[in-house]
Amino acid sequence: MRKLQSLLALSLLALLAPAALADGSGWERHAAVAEAVGEATPQLGQLRMQMPSVSEDGSAVPLELSIDHPMSADEYIESIRVFATKNPNAEVVDFFLTPQMGRPEVSTRVRVNESQTLYAVAHSSTGEVYVASADIRITVGGCLMASDDDIAEFGQPRVAIPRSPSAGEPGEVRTLVTHPMETGLREGPDGEILPRRLLDTLVVEYEGDTVLTVRMHTAVSENPYMRFFMAPEESGQAVFRWTEEDSGDTVEEQATFNLS
Amino acid sequence: MSDKKNPLATLSRRGLLKGVGAVGALPLLNACGAMGQQGGGDARVVVIGGGFGGATAAKYLKRGNPNLEVTLVEPNEVFYTCPFSNLYLGGLREMNEIAHNYNELREVYGVQVIHQTAQDVDPVNHTVVLGDGTTLIYDKLIMSPGIDFRWNELEGYDEAAPQYAPHAWQAGEQTRLLRRQLEDMDDGGVFVLVAPANPFRCPPGPYERASMVAHYFSQHKPNSKVLILDAKDNFSKQGLFTAGWNEFYGDRIEWVGLSNDGRVTRVDAIRREVETEFGTLHQADVLNVVPPQKAGFIAERAGLTDDSGWVPVNPATFESTQAEDIFVVGDATIAAPMPKSGFSASSQGKVAAAAIVAQVAGETPPPAYFTNTCYSLIAPDYGISVAGIYRTTSDGEVETTSSGLSPSEADASTRALEAQYARGWYEAMAQDAWGTRY
Repeated sequence: MRKLQSLLALSLLALLAPAALADGSGWERHAAVAEAVGEATPQLGQLRMQMPSVSEDGSAVPLELSIDHPMSADEYIESIRVFATKNPNAEVVDFFLTPQMGRPEVSTRVRVNESQTLYAVAHSSTGEVYVASADIRITVGGCLMASDDDIAEFGQPRVAIPRSPSAGEPGEVRTLVTHPMETGLREGPDGEILPRRLLDTLVVEYEGDTVLTVRMHTAVSENPYMRFFMAPEESGQAVFRWTEEDSGDTVEEQATFNLS
Repeated sequence: MSDKKNPLATLSRRGLLKGVGAVGALPLLNACGAMGQQGGGDARVVVIGGGFGGATAAKYLKRGNPNLEVTLVEPNEVFYTCPFSNLYLGGLREMNEIAHNYNELREVYGVQVIHQTAQDVDPVNHTVVLGDGTTLIYDKLIMSPGIDFRWNELEGYDEAAPQYAPHAWQAGEQTRLLRRQLEDMDDGGVFVLVAPANPFRCPPGPYERASMVAHYFSQHKPNSKVLILDAKDNFSKQGLFTAGWNEFYGDRIEWVGLSNDGRVTRVDAIRREVETEFGTLHQADVLNVVPPQKAGFIAERAGLTDDSGWVPVNPATFESTQAEDIFVVGDATIAAPMPKSGFSASSQGKVAAAAIVAQVAGETPPPAYFTNTCYSLIAPDYGISVAGIYRTTSDGEVETTSSGLSPSEADASTRALEAQYARGWYEAMAQDAWGTRY
């Protein structure tokens, strides 16, 4: 009978284990996150941070952030910053948003070194602070083997905008550029540390106004991918500019919105 | 995991189970020679799904305790395996060589086999409802439901699309259709294979398929090409595949990864046209879409899946974390780092069977170990493989204890030997699960 009870206890544990909270609680234990939160008392459970709970490839984990919040001139989300507390550098990526985006929703692909909790901190223009988190387990897939043959060069910008955008309607925009995003933490085939070479920012402008600035850190995956929204009121030209850290080299791409 | 339903746990059964250790990796050694015993039964065990996971589990349940009443529910009388179905596309095997039946389970092991679909499961009342309305009662349930597709997650790839652009990711009629389309294609055509993001059934599968189609082209349609549009930047055994492709097929195979705009976002199955994330259109002469996947229908129906669409399990036993007395094995589960493969499913099926045999006897299930081996053919005499051994950690996660891959530099005789091993590997797996003899 004792054995049966211990079996039962084990099964209860198994039932409880996956229920780890991922609503952003525990943020105050991590210095980088706490600093990003600042003095305000953050609201939990409103900012959504979506990642797979298990990933077999920690080098490019999809990450999506969104919140139900106005994006008007007097009340909008102005920043969302992401932290991976067990990565060598906690900072992952920072999005600086504007009302011209129309919808506070962004996605990218990030590097996650080991199983951990990631945090996101959003600030609104009115001083509200929102925190979210996501637990992720990284396993090295039993059938996976990365190939390191070709190192990406900086270039080949790609942009996809809505096929028939409407004035003031948030439309999905996707961007991709090839870049090695070399962290300066990794050994090359000869055992020497590969020199750090990172993109610093992606800046999106519409008719001269900045719509979105993305600041990238070491944890943004190779060939950075960004998905976000734009809601231009009038037809015009969008410029997408990636700038490399240190060298200051840039790559640019343009797209024309013909609004209906 | 409660044992309230097995008052028959006896000391003698306890004695029998002593010394059973690494059950996932090794056959149960205490089969006692007694097979096919039916009757009162120690417990009623229903197994849903007669693929690698389910067929193996049913057999090992009876080997572990011949007094279990084991019922296997599988709609098909003949089961075609996904492993080696690519060889059929390459012209190296016929369908009857990847076909298996349930005669051994029925006649030798005394498993009751019912050819019906499982339509509903009531985890509270411990019942399974079949397509013909029959209700089965279980004390323990093992599900090996395989995969289902997320229709329309890839825009335009709905339930009607596979008749024009086959997935051939569940072997059988779809596999035949794809081969017919390849045979009907004019020389000089393009075979486009759309490969999904992780996780999905059989990680090396799309790349073996590309190899086998390229092999078929090299024999019959020398001016035709293979284009893989991939939603990933890395894939299983990538370096080995790439080297093999260079050696055998040169420009015949082109792979476009995620960072090169390889992710397909829209499919027009009738026109065999696909569009990628950044707006590139590709016209195929034969279009093969491996769509995004999730756990097989019945797992979702029983409420066993989580937000990911897959089934979380306790990896010590592969018991569902959502419902008592239900075990789920195979592709439907979240078992990473174990890949979604037939071999993994079979290994997990043995662990679940051993856990049930132990629980029914009032014993603690033995520690779980698992193995996986995946062979892929790049050409008829050129094989590559990956193997792994796994265990469950005290934190309740699956951990790789050791793993290996074919060497990146090897001579032709090594590759030829691996191709031969691949055939032995398949035949040994099929014999273990269904008793098929070659």
